Amino acid sequence: MAHLTNPLATPSQLYNHTSFSSLPADLREVVFITTQCLTQAAGLLLELPQSVTAQANVILARYWLIDSPMAHEFSDVSAAALYLVAKVGPMPRSTRDVSNVYAYLLSPKSSLFRAPQEGRPEEDPKAYYQTESDYFAFQSRLLALEARILYCLSFNTHVSLPHALAITYLQTLDFLSQPKSTISHRVTQYLNTALLSPQMLYLTHQPHALATAAIYNAARDLWAKMPETEWWEVFDVDREDLGFLVVGMRSVEGILASRREEMPWAGEGMTTRTLVEGEMQKRGLQAENGETKQLDKEDEAMRMLDSR
Amino acid sequence: MSSNPRSRWANAQEDEAVEAERKRVKEERRQRKAAKARKAEEEEEARKKKHSLGSAEDRPTKRQRRTPEPDLPPAKPLRFEVEGWDKSRSVEHYDKLNDIEEGTYGWVARATELATGKVVALKRLKLEAGDRSGLPVTGLREIQILRDCKHRNIVSMDEVVVGDNVSRLDNSIFLVLEFVEHDLKGILDDMPEPFLSSEVKQLLLQLTSGVAYLHNHWILHRDLKTSNILLNNRGQLKIADFGMARYVGDPPPKLTSLVVTLWYRSPELLLGTKTYGSAVDMWSVGCIFGELLTREPLLQGKNEVDQISKVFELCGVPTEESWPGFRRLPNARSLRLPRSAQTTGSVIRARFPNLTSAGASLLNDLLALDPERRPSASEMLQHEYFHQDPKPKPESLFPTFPSKAGQEKRRRHEPNAPARGQAAASLGEVDLGGLFQRREKEERGAGFSLRMV
Repeated sequence: MAHLTNPLATPSQLYNHTSFSSLPADLREVVFITTQCLTQAAGLLLELPQSVTAQANVILARYWLIDSPMAHEFSDVSAAALYLVAKVGPMPRSTRDVSNVYAYLLSPKSSLFRAPQEGRPEEDPKAYYQTESDYFAFQSRLLALEARILYCLSFNTHVSLPHALAITYLQTLDFLSQPKSTISHRVTQYLNTALLSPQMLYLTHQPHALATAAIYNAARDLWAKMPETEWWEVFDVDREDLGFLVVGMRSVEGILASRREEMPWAGEGMTTRTLVEGEMQKRGLQAENGETKQLDKEDEAMRMLDSR
Repeated sequence: MSSNPRSRWANAQEDEAVEAERKRVKEERRQRKAAKARKAEEEEEARKKKHSLGSAEDRPTKRQRRTPEPDLPPAKPLRFEVEGWDKSRSVEHYDKLNDIEEGTYGWVARATELATGKVVALKRLKLEAGDRSGLPVTGLREIQILRDCKHRNIVSMDEVVVGDNVSRLDNSIFLVLEFVEHDLKGILDDMPEPFLSSEVKQLLLQLTSGVAYLHNHWILHRDLKTSNILLNNRGQLKIADFGMARYVGDPPPKLTSLVVTLWYRSPELLLGTKTYGSAVDMWSVGCIFGELLTREPLLQGKNEVDQISKVFELCGVPTEESWPGFRRLPNARSLRLPRSAQTTGSVIRARFPNLTSAGASLLNDLLALDPERRPSASEMLQHEYFHQDPKPKPESLFPTFPSKAGQEKRRRHEPNAPARGQAAASLGEVDLGGLFQRREKEERGAGFSLRMV
């Protein structure tokens, strides 16, 4: 059964997650989504198959239920998760490659998280050039985080993905009389989007439920006629789980759009800890309106350490 | 079906087709459901019928059903046993008793869990000094595979524990393994008389069940040898050391051919194949079978070239008939072999005169040069050798052996498992050519010669 199931988050882990870090929910969502997007972008540039990158997304999400997201730089955690999953899988990538890709994606010239510009972006290799010491420092952080992630997951790196299962289910449903590639594509899109969901659907539900919900959503989008019976029961999903996942999968885009609107800085390159700390400081002032006390950075950091 | 799904409502013909398709799907589903119900009925005749055929057959006529019908039993979705994750525990939960060995696999010690008093083996994850690529992938794979395996003939892993300083985990990651008293190699080295044939049969049976479990779960062990096979005082055999093991798929991915300790390495690996499968483990099982019979490793080559010539001495020189396509393997292209009839036959039967003919035929099959001809582990379990007299000796009647894991360290005089790394793999290929050339002058005793073109 190991190939079909995942370890799942316990209710107390999910509950603690909201309380143990001082991050407000909306900031946490931005951090989660942008970091997962960064992992996806890095996976593409490292020419890793989506099966590897998706596992890295899941590993990262699991890790953040144990350690606070603010404990390490987000991009470093993303890099370490991707490096680790690629290493134990069939397509390892060198720390040098990972370092180069992340340096590029985090550089001001990268188009990731920035509004598309007119014409070709100007080439500026200096913007993402890494000195030997930059690389060495990155590598050290990467390897330390790799060990940290493994330690926090008690060395269990197993991730079952629902993608292949979803195609099998589609086959048994005869692709709901849709063109095979159209509906399969849509299902895959839902499964991949769900990886970014701050609701952490991959940590709360088993692959078979994710696959079924993605098929349901895809069928709805394509106006495909689904069996009139409670067909999801055939795939061992009950109505309640299905409903939760269907809504959860559909909400990711909306969450991202509304957070971007609220926090314009999220559209100006990768979110960093400094940015988030700055935002919290701003809110600290707002929240304590009328008081003269100003939180300086050190106090802020101490406060976060305490609350962890 | 329809390439334009939105317009199909307007088109009567297409509508019909869709309707027909829908009916077909339903019919299929109905049949599946009925088949499932039938199966359930057969299995649980004694119990109440869970799925009645009647209600399953009613199903297609019902329309627009949004809630379960009251006459249908509520669906019972299959639920999996769920585990979670959390930080690794500290090694301080265990108390070290004594070192067992410090060798190729790193450090292993006997310890007790303080809370329960349970005796375990602690195996330290070996780290390469100065390796700037993080924790060794072989160690991580071993952990993952051991975590996934639950079988009585495979050593079980309880957890992974870490040292106190969690910010620097180097050299302080420990696998908590089931403690098993002996390894087969140590027993074979020390025993004055070889195993009885009923004992050999029982050991081989257990080994094969373990290997069958691994192969059924898409795991190749890739380092089966007597020192990696453990035996407890209750006659139970356990496969250990998964440092070389990995998951494979179908079709098999490209793999490194530098696996398996030399003496147990199959001819296709020696000839440098990159695509291989479970048959490499079956070759090792064959070597272990031979070793159980004689107490001596079957094929003790000094190096790769010596190993392959020892293999050909025992099993005969491969021909296009006995091993189709072997010429296409990387190291075989430049191999020149004699083609006389005497050199192509196997001498296994002659080498094991005391073995029954069923046993000899099994050993012959396991040591087939062509990996395709080796039986799979599941096939092997059905072999008549295991059904013939003498029957496998029951585990409980197995002799016990003085435990060496208690105090003294084990002797080792066998080659080590190959080290991981690209350089070594390519080195092997380069060297092989030169070694074959030297052989031309040196070795002519085996009734054939190996020469480079």
